[in-house]
Amino acid sequence: MSTAAEAELAIQAKVAVAKGQGYWAGVFKRVRRDPVTIVCATILLVMFLAILFAPLLAPHDPYQGSMIRRLRGLGTLNYPLGTDELGRDMVTRLLFGGRLSWFMGIVPVVLAFIIGTTLGVTAGYMGGKVNMAIMRTTDVFYAFPSVLLAVAISGALGAGIVNAILALTLVFIPQIIRVAETVTQGVRNLDFVDAARSSGASGFTIVRVHVLGNVLGPIFVYATNLISVCMILASGLSFLGLGTKPPEPEWGLMLNTLRTAIYVQPWVAVLPGACIFITSICFNLLSDGLRQAMDVKG
Amino acid sequence: MIFYLLRRALYAIPIALAVGFVCFMLVQIAPGDPINAIVPPDAPGDVVEQVRRDYGLDKPLPVQFGLWLLKVVQGDLGRSLATGRSVWSDLSTAIGNTLMLAVCASIVGFVVGCTLGGLAGTFRGSVLDRLATGIAVAGVSVPHYWLGMVMVVIFSVQLNWLPAMGAGPGGSSDWAWDWEHFQFLVLPTITLSVIPTGIVTRTVRGIVAEIMNQEFVVALRGKGLTRGQVFLHVVKNAAPNALAVIGLQLGYLMGGSILVETVFSWPGTGLLLNSAIFQRDLPVLQGTILVLAMFFVALNLVVDLVQAALDPRIKRA
Amino acid sequence: MTLRRTLLAACLALAPSLAWAQGTIRIGMTAADIPLTHGQPDQGFEGNRFTGIPIYDSLTQWDLSAADRASVVIPSLAERWEVDPADHTRWTFHLRRGVKFHDGSDFNADTVVWNVGKVLDREAPQYDARQVGLTATRMPTLRRAEKIDAYTVRLITSEPDSLLPINLTNLFMASPTHWAALRAQHPTAEATWNAFAAAPSGTGPFRVTRFVPRERLELARFDGYWSTKAKADRLVLLPIPDASARTAALLSGQVDWIEAPSPDALGQLRSRSMTITQNLQPHVWPWQPCFVAGSPLADVRIRRALNLAIDRDGLKQLLGGLMVAPVGTVAPGHPWWGNPSFRIRTDKAEAARLLAEAGYGPQRRLTIKVQISASGSGQMQPLPMNEFIQQDLKPLGIDIEFDVVDWNTLFGNWRQGCQHASARGAHATNVSFAAMDPFFAMVRFWDSKMAPPTSNNWGFFNQPRFDAMIREARTTFDPVARDAALARLHAAGVDEALFIWIAHDVSPRAMTPRIRGYVQPQSWFVDLRLPYIQ
Repeated sequence: MSTAAEAELAIQAKVAVAKGQGYWAGVFKRVRRDPVTIVCATILLVMFLAILFAPLLAPHDPYQGSMIRRLRGLGTLNYPLGTDELGRDMVTRLLFGGRLSWFMGIVPVVLAFIIGTTLGVTAGYMGGKVNMAIMRTTDVFYAFPSVLLAVAISGALGAGIVNAILALTLVFIPQIIRVAETVTQGVRNLDFVDAARSSGASGFTIVRVHVLGNVLGPIFVYATNLISVCMILASGLSFLGLGTKPPEPEWGLMLNTLRTAIYVQPWVAVLPGACIFITSICFNLLSDGLRQAMDVKG
Repeated sequence: MIFYLLRRALYAIPIALAVGFVCFMLVQIAPGDPINAIVPPDAPGDVVEQVRRDYGLDKPLPVQFGLWLLKVVQGDLGRSLATGRSVWSDLSTAIGNTLMLAVCASIVGFVVGCTLGGLAGTFRGSVLDRLATGIAVAGVSVPHYWLGMVMVVIFSVQLNWLPAMGAGPGGSSDWAWDWEHFQFLVLPTITLSVIPTGIVTRTVRGIVAEIMNQEFVVALRGKGLTRGQVFLHVVKNAAPNALAVIGLQLGYLMGGSILVETVFSWPGTGLLLNSAIFQRDLPVLQGTILVLAMFFVALNLVVDLVQAALDPRIKRA
Repeated sequence: MTLRRTLLAACLALAPSLAWAQGTIRIGMTAADIPLTHGQPDQGFEGNRFTGIPIYDSLTQWDLSAADRASVVIPSLAERWEVDPADHTRWTFHLRRGVKFHDGSDFNADTVVWNVGKVLDREAPQYDARQVGLTATRMPTLRRAEKIDAYTVRLITSEPDSLLPINLTNLFMASPTHWAALRAQHPTAEATWNAFAAAPSGTGPFRVTRFVPRERLELARFDGYWSTKAKADRLVLLPIPDASARTAALLSGQVDWIEAPSPDALGQLRSRSMTITQNLQPHVWPWQPCFVAGSPLADVRIRRALNLAIDRDGLKQLLGGLMVAPVGTVAPGHPWWGNPSFRIRTDKAEAARLLAEAGYGPQRRLTIKVQISASGSGQMQPLPMNEFIQQDLKPLGIDIEFDVVDWNTLFGNWRQGCQHASARGAHATNVSFAAMDPFFAMVRFWDSKMAPPTSNNWGFFNQPRFDAMIREARTTFDPVARDAALARLHAAGVDEALFIWIAHDVSPRAMTPRIRGYVQPQSWFVDLRLPYIQ
């Protein structure tokens, strides 16, 4: 018993040194030299803080409108981005809307990351029948185009935030399983895993220390890439009326309800879409930058 | 090689069956009683029961699945709850319209993507490369339904150049390839093509850059071959992958056109799906998703087979 | 198949683009699909408007010829009718002679018996369960039909019901001959009805020339029509559910006429010289009170105060002018108006006085909870409108709280009543309704027997005086006397302030100035024989 535990500790330490400071310092250095990534990260950080502190920053009430000042244009006094179809301040609505949009863009990816990694690593490490069962099930869900699957599930379940998140999570799990399985299989046969196995470390420890340490990076990068897709899909569901319900502010839904106003205030009506676009492109570029910095292929 | 192709083709069968099962389950997870989609809420109870029997909604689930599968295999997707018409009759028209849109968008995506990607890959690091890469990232990051709205605002409402919705002055059934009809296709096609354009640009750029760095190309260039001849080699080697990408994109576009079709009222599968969802017309929802998913399964198979046939490196038997 | 057809068209490339004949009116409907064409349309009254009345006729019909008077029931395929003086459940209908279906066959008593059978006789070969759901609720007391001679039929009801002739506007006459011909080619009655829907045959002023599911329905003038023929050569009906897409279609010349333009687009439409039409519609957008003890609205003074407090002119402004301020369920001049003594208007001082009398005011505020929906058929713009009223009532000391639910939920709760958990303690509900038929306009709300779960007396209103008036109206078979009884009922309802009447919808339409002859009656329907295009 004690020898096995000692061996584990020793290996843990070795890996930590090998992958530790040097690697992450290198990644950080590379990121710092990439202006696009820096700019995107800054924009996202500012956005994140803005929607986080929306109640403090927002100049008006996101639900309280006024019929007298509905559909004002850009640059109106006190309403720099105009007002929506119910006379609510667009700055406020966009700030609060960002909360749900970000929530619905990130939560499914996080959930899928946790579930998909667990299943994918299990499949990749265990191999055999377990692998077969997990991967063939994955193939079935892979046989649906992602938008179709998301629309199908949330369409069948009905509109609502929870249903939309459920649908999107289900869409992303198979994709993450595939990446996790591939990466895990690659790591499984590496020398140091063999070494750990021969030195008597338990399967769980090997996975926790050696496999996860090596596969989480690539999966994480892949997942950050999915945030951009997820945000577009989530807003798309709301745009179709399958996501959030009024009067809750959400960018996709705002775009939907403002559609009738494109004849009155076209540029106010397209603002929520611009927000989705900026967020999505920044996450995309950030993910690219991270991938290059971490030297992950795929 | 033959063995691989055969195995790949056979594997499509269990996948197709499982996809069918998922489609059947979709309706079972749906909350609420589908009967409410047929009769108004204030209809008398005996009428409701009568209709329920007529539609076979009173049978136990496994029986319903068995009956459903049997019918589907025979090409019967059931009847719409809302209209009473066979699902297939509406679906076949809609598929044609979606296919037309998706094929056009794929062609645009392929041509523009290959051009941009080829240029970017050839002149890596140049301004051209950065521009092409920027367009590619924007293409995959833009919410295309929003782009569609913006284009309607600009080209239909403000400039009045192109129609805002519909599939031709006489609807899709009067389609002809003249400008009067074709103009209806312009905005939806552009909108739908931004994603494949982005993806193809990225892929082709990667492939071309890799090939350009390969020894034989460097060698060819050393031998004094002209740019055109080198280009031909690059194309030969990049084509299978680019085709595979665009092939799969066609499938994604077929399945993902719901947002664009909603924005432009394009009478395809997406619009059909949209109205089925809101009328809770479950047979239509189920049939449409099943057919689109099966199309995707088949397309995946074809792409794999073609790729295997074109690319000698894939020989895992 | 479509692809092949498309390719074929591409190869030939000679398919001449359809040159629009003079007199073709293209209409953008709000429905997501073409309403059913087999004779009993779905999609609510928009269905009757576009695939019912133009293609078919019923025994009785609405008078749609004038904009300036109430639309009442007039003879159509039945020239006259009377109830058996000895047995008030037996009616005799005398049919019009010389009426032909689009397929050339004759309309007669057998046709009527056959068409009643299609929805009420389970044993009949043409019985279609689908059509029952769409029809039975609109003629609740009709039971069966018997032929007396070739042009006389007897209709039998379950109880004496003087409203039967009004209900019969909902039973459209389809051609049995055409159906029988199709039946020979199809395995089941259901399949036959589907085939019939694809190629319908009625006696209406338009016949179907082309039906492309979900995309378009083309109608042509029926030259063998028995009455005044249509002026337009052809009608093309297009389902365009999205309001902004409808507006875009009209502005870009893809259609000539759109239903329900969004109020936001009116400015743009007017600036492009489109005609915007509207007229009072038999529609009420109310708050329906809960009369149960404990509800503040059980007090007639508060109900009257609310009716007087609402600034309907401001509301109208909010809707871009697209509403009419109601003074009751029907308007003055209507046969059921009855001249109530309580005059609904905006009089904040009187409202404040009544509130004070009931013990409320700015010092002792009154809180009223209303269940509303965010959208829904006939609901107009529920959120902005309710929000406007909320702000409008605040200075009087009335705090309005909203329980916003989904439209289907609100509609479903309507038959549960205000004491049910689904009401969540609301004192009023905001379900709008059509008021063409006295049963749907008054009886189902004010008859104590109509309390949930039977029908829509959501507030459990119960006054024997009203029950007696309703019984009197339903058993008075002379039309004039019946209308007088209904007028007394309406006047009493207004005097008791049984609703908070807030708005009438006006059925807005936008059309190109090239459309002439169009008349917008005070109805959910339109006589499509009248308009033509230059």
